[in-house]
Parts: sequence; C-alpha cells; structure tokens
Amino acid sequence: MLEERGFSTVAIASVRPQAEKTRPPRALWTTSQLGRPLGEPGDAMFQRRVLLAALSLLVRTDGPVILEDFNEDPPGWLDTPRWRAPAQVGPTDPPETPGAWAVAFGAELSSLMPLWRAAQARCGRTTVGLSFQAPAAWPEFAARFLAGELPAVPELDTPALALRMLSDDIKALYGEAAQAEGSAPSARQIDTWFWRQTVAGRLLIALRAVAMVSENNALKTVGGRFFVPAYWLP
Amino acid sequence: MARLEDIPQPSRDAVVAAPCPTFETQPFVGGPPLAQRRVAIVSSAALIRRGDKPFPFGSAECRFLPASIPAGDILTSHVSINFDRAGFQRDLNVVYPIDRLRELAAEGVIGGVAETHFTVMGSTDPAGMTATADQIAGQLRQERIDSILLSPV
Repeated sequence: MLEERGFSTVAIASVRPQAEKTRPPRALWTTSQLGRPLGEPGDAMFQRRVLLAALSLLVRTDGPVILEDFNEDPPGWLDTPRWRAPAQVGPTDPPETPGAWAVAFGAELSSLMPLWRAAQARCGRTTVGLSFQAPAAWPEFAARFLAGELPAVPELDTPALALRMLSDDIKALYGEAAQAEGSAPSARQIDTWFWRQTVAGRLLIALRAVAMVSENNALKTVGGRFFVPAYWLP
Repeated sequence: MARLEDIPQPSRDAVVAAPCPTFETQPFVGGPPLAQRRVAIVSSAALIRRGDKPFPFGSAECRFLPASIPAGDILTSHVSINFDRAGFQRDLNVVYPIDRLRELAAEGVIGGVAETHFTVMGSTDPAGMTATADQIAGQLRQERIDSILLSPV
C-alpha cells in the first residue's frame, strides 16, 4: 500500500508461506523467532547483518517480486544450560480461593522484585506498564476477577482489556526477572518456567477458565483467544 | 521461528491457514543508491508510548513514533499471545531497529533516518487501512522519506 503511494518498501518476513502468498515488492525471510524479526537481543552485529540484507533489496531492480532468504540462523534458539530459573516460592498445589491466590501470587511477586530491579538496571528499561497498575496492586486485582467481579481501570476501556493488559505486565515482569542475571535463557526456557513452575502462570490459566465462562462477551473472547497460548494449556 | 516446523501447534496450522491479502497491482518503486536513501520504520508490533492507551483489538489505526521517544518508554500492545516478547524485553532493536538505523546513517551507509516512525496492529486486514496508509504517506512526504523498512512481529 505504501509502495503504491510512491515509496520503496522492504519487509522482513517472519513466515515464508505468508510472504509467498502476499507477494510484497521486496522481502527478506529470516528464521528468527516470531517476535524477534531482527534476530538476537543484545547482538548488534547480528541485527545489523539482517538490516543490511533487507536494505540492500531496496536498490535491486529485478522486481517485483523479490523474496530473499537470510542465510544465518540466529543462535538464540538454543537453550542456555547454565541458566537457572528464579527460585520457586509459591505453593505446589493451586490455591483454592481468590484470596489464597492473591496471597500466593503476592508472595511470589515480592520474591522476584530484586531480580526485576536488576533486570531494569541491566537493560536500562522495563516493558512493564500496560496495565496502568503497580505490581503491588496486581494480586488483589486478579483475585477480584477470580471472584467473579469485573474490576476496571480508568485508563483502559473495559474490564476485558484491563485483564489482558494485566496478563501482559505479569508476563513482562517475570520475563525480565528471568533475564536479570548471567547468560540469557532461551524464550522456551522462560516460557517453560513461567507456565509450568510459577504461581503467576497457573494464575493466568485459572483466570482464563473464569473468563471463558463469563457472561461478559469481551472477557470471554479475551480468555478464549488472547490469554494463554494453546500449547501451554494443561 | 519462523521455520514452520519450529512453530508449536496449533499455532503452526493457524499461521499457514491465516488469510493473506492479495493485491491487484504490483508497484515497484526505485530510488537512489542506498547511501542517499532516507529510511523510516513501520512496525506491526502495535507499539505505544508509555502512558498511552494500548491499541484496541482489531484496530486499523496508525500511531506515529517520534524517533526521540526514549527506548524505555516504548511498549508493545499487540493482541497476539503467540510471539516471543523476551527478546523485546531485553532489546528494543529486535522489533524496532532504531539504533541500528542510526548507526548506518552515521556511517553513511544510508542517507538518513526519519524523525517519525510508524506502528500498526499486525494481523489487521489491510483492506481497512487505506486511510492509515494515506496518513503515513503524508508524514513521509513531509520528512522527504523515500524508503520504508516493514518490521513484523
């Protein structure tokens, strides 16, 4: 659409079959994980090679359509054997009441705060901030959904959006804490830890179950489609 | 991932089956050598400035990202739960390679970097994004940008 308006465009393509169907004027397919089109976090040279490969297509004259494959696999796919998950502090059995969930989640969050602060010092930023709530408020807010309420946040339009943004913030804080020290874990290591070993992961799965039977259609949609990746459901 | 075999099911089937737009025309715009190109980023990561409302689900809107926004104030509000965010958490550039573009401009590899970049919600049907494309094009012309890097998530 932008090429039609007179601009040269080049797309980084994450899924080759989609690029083959869409047929953009110029595209560079990479084998990077979905969500990392430029490749490796903290690896400026790898990102630069991807970027240069993409930009070089702008001056090619043998299109349309140009679809090139980037010829390097990013190393971040591999697990990091030396990485150790943050210590588990939560109960091994799921809490039975909303209040108990709040207590267990709050305790786990508190235990992760030093790591989260270390991650912010290391990366110079945090990606937490979508929910418009401080972490200290998260356990009680989540527990209210478990109790069948529909709490809202003034800055967000609906309870469904508030819950979804809360889940993004929870995952962001845990993801950052997991990357605070030592060698970076793979995304798979972080996800396995989060969804299988933390109270927060089990809390999101419990919230999903509540959302899916809600009479609030927006909440039901969020719970069913936009909350827990299907491959992490128990 | 994005080798298909690396995408876990059922996401893999969904990715393959996802409807893809087709276009009646195939424009192909040339331009000067790379060292004279002025480049902007269009990211489909639904990036927002900290404190702004997230993109609504299915939104066809575009938001402008002034290049001056500090990295610490850029968040992603994309609706999909099926892509990795750990990379973005560690390094903004894996999604929005603003630092890499600046380096290339400083070295003279490209002619310059836009003062304004753009972000949309990926997975939105482009058929509803004509006004968005016009809006982006208007700003690009104001800044004399000729080339665009489309960065997905």
